[in-house]
Amino acid sequence: MKINILIAGILLSATALFSQVTKPIELPYVEYPIEAGDHDEVVQQYCLTCHSFGYMLNQGKKSRPYWTGTVAKMVNEFKAPIPKEDQQIIINYFVKHYGYESNTGH
Amino acid sequence: MDKFSRRNFLGAGLIFGASTLFAKEAAKTVATETKAFVPPMIAFPEKKPMKTISDRPPLLESSRDIFTQAITPNDQFFVRWHMPDIPTYIDLNTFRLEVKGSVANALSLSIDDLKSKFEPVEITSVLQCGGNSRKFFSEKTGQATHGVQWGHGAMGCAVWKGARLKDILNMAGVNATAKYVGVNGLEKPAIDETPHFFREMGIDEALTDELIVAYEMNGQDIPYLNGFPLKLIIPGHFSDSWVKMLSEITVMDEYRKTFFMDVAYTVPDNDCECVISGGDFEYKRKPIAQMKVKSVIGYPAPNSVIKKGSRINVTGVAFDQGKGIKEVMISLDGGKSWSSTNLQKDYGKYAYRQWSFSWEPKIKGEYSIMVRAINRIGNIQPLPGDIGWNAGGYQYNAVDVVNVKIV
Ligand code: HEC
Repeated sequence: MKINILIAGILLSATALFSQVTKPIELPYVEYPIEAGDHDEVVQQYCLTCHSFGYMLNQGKKSRPYWTGTVAKMVNEFKAPIPKEDQQIIINYFVKHYGYESNTGH
Repeated sequence: MDKFSRRNFLGAGLIFGASTLFAKEAAKTVATETKAFVPPMIAFPEKKPMKTISDRPPLLESSRDIFTQAITPNDQFFVRWHMPDIPTYIDLNTFRLEVKGSVANALSLSIDDLKSKFEPVEITSVLQCGGNSRKFFSEKTGQATHGVQWGHGAMGCAVWKGARLKDILNMAGVNATAKYVGVNGLEKPAIDETPHFFREMGIDEALTDELIVAYEMNGQDIPYLNGFPLKLIIPGHFSDSWVKMLSEITVMDEYRKTFFMDVAYTVPDNDCECVISGGDFEYKRKPIAQMKVKSVIGYPAPNSVIKKGSRINVTGVAFDQGKGIKEVMISLDGGKSWSSTNLQKDYGKYAYRQWSFSWEPKIKGEYSIMVRAINRIGNIQPLPGDIGWNAGGYQYNAVDVVNVKIV
């Protein structure tokens, strides 16, 4: 058996350290900070269960219909257990901090 | 230049079952004005620092300069998982590939079994995510897409070695009633209700010669994050069914409907595989499968400043669904005139074909370098303004453009 996995010691803005191990790999932990305010704690509570905030930040600014559809997809397709009121708080948070109101949307 | 199409974003929500929530939206509001998110460059196990779009699940994108090589090194090969729960250790003494379902003899194969009981085969093939280059849809068409906003770096080309899927299925003895083969790996969702990453293909496709269950990539064990110890290889096809940490092959008499087959990774079932009017999910669906002819520029990098009179070797890679690249043309004047590039070594019809062009710019100014590939059956890349749009942002293959400045 020849598993030679490198583990990367990660300090967020610093250099990576390498060392060889034959034990479980250790994935670096990356912090993807999101903007504070407008109940970001609700977003923190529900939106980190299945993936990092990198998924959201990578989207860039998106419209209200986009964020509404995305949150609905998380709930309907991926079965994220998020109460209705909190879904609305999350949508409003993303529209304000990572999006815009759409002029033609309803 | 008005690149804002009047076509609407309508229907993109349907892709995700959010049918009533998506409304019409002026396209001009979506393009390029993104809050600048620059993924950090981080070294993951067995990898050089790569653009880390996400750590959990890991989404690692290669840099553009990777396209100056026909074979992508393992430590710079892109990484893309769907589910957060990935085993952090695989003990080869206990790891087994299970082959089950509608077969005469279910199999439980160790890596040693795969290496010793089946004829080893090798194939050089491009592995490209269906959503590769997705971010260019909004830049070039003015219309947003769903999904991870990859640049060109969700693809690579490697030499894969393993056992033929066909040989494995034949050892198990597929029942006459079998119609589909399902494949899945060890990645798991955080909560059980989330659809698992399960992919299916027709039995005829599974029994073709070229599909292999690979245990080696570029002469080494498959890197952990690329799917150690086993990965399914489907040359010429987008990578959605190239399952990583492949652990189960299930032969089935009936198709199983799943989110990752029937909703994700699908496009309109029409000639252009794109939205002509209305919403994406108003169309009958088809899963993306064969790749489309494509070329990208590896060097020079976008926005390079180059001294007048220097000789530069413009280079990149081209590939298609396996018909073979016939020609890659280059334009240095924004698409007005085109010349041939030199095609480099042929690694096989599923591999990258590297191309190069020696350029000695004599006049100062801004230049748009464009490349356009044609394959042996005449498929040609669309110009950026002509590419058909789909809400999932799949199969982007428009002509690549790199702007440089000669001083
Ligand atoms: C129950 C698990 C789960 C939860 C909780 C969850 N997501 Fe997701 N999310 C997923 C899955 C699965 C994907 C697709 C992953 C992939 O393909 O890599 C995804 C993908 C995404 C994407 C990428 C774009 C796309 O449409 O695929 C965004 C943006 C996103 N989620 C936002 C959110 C937000 C906002 C929340 C909080 C409301 C959230 N997610 C909570 C499971 C979840």
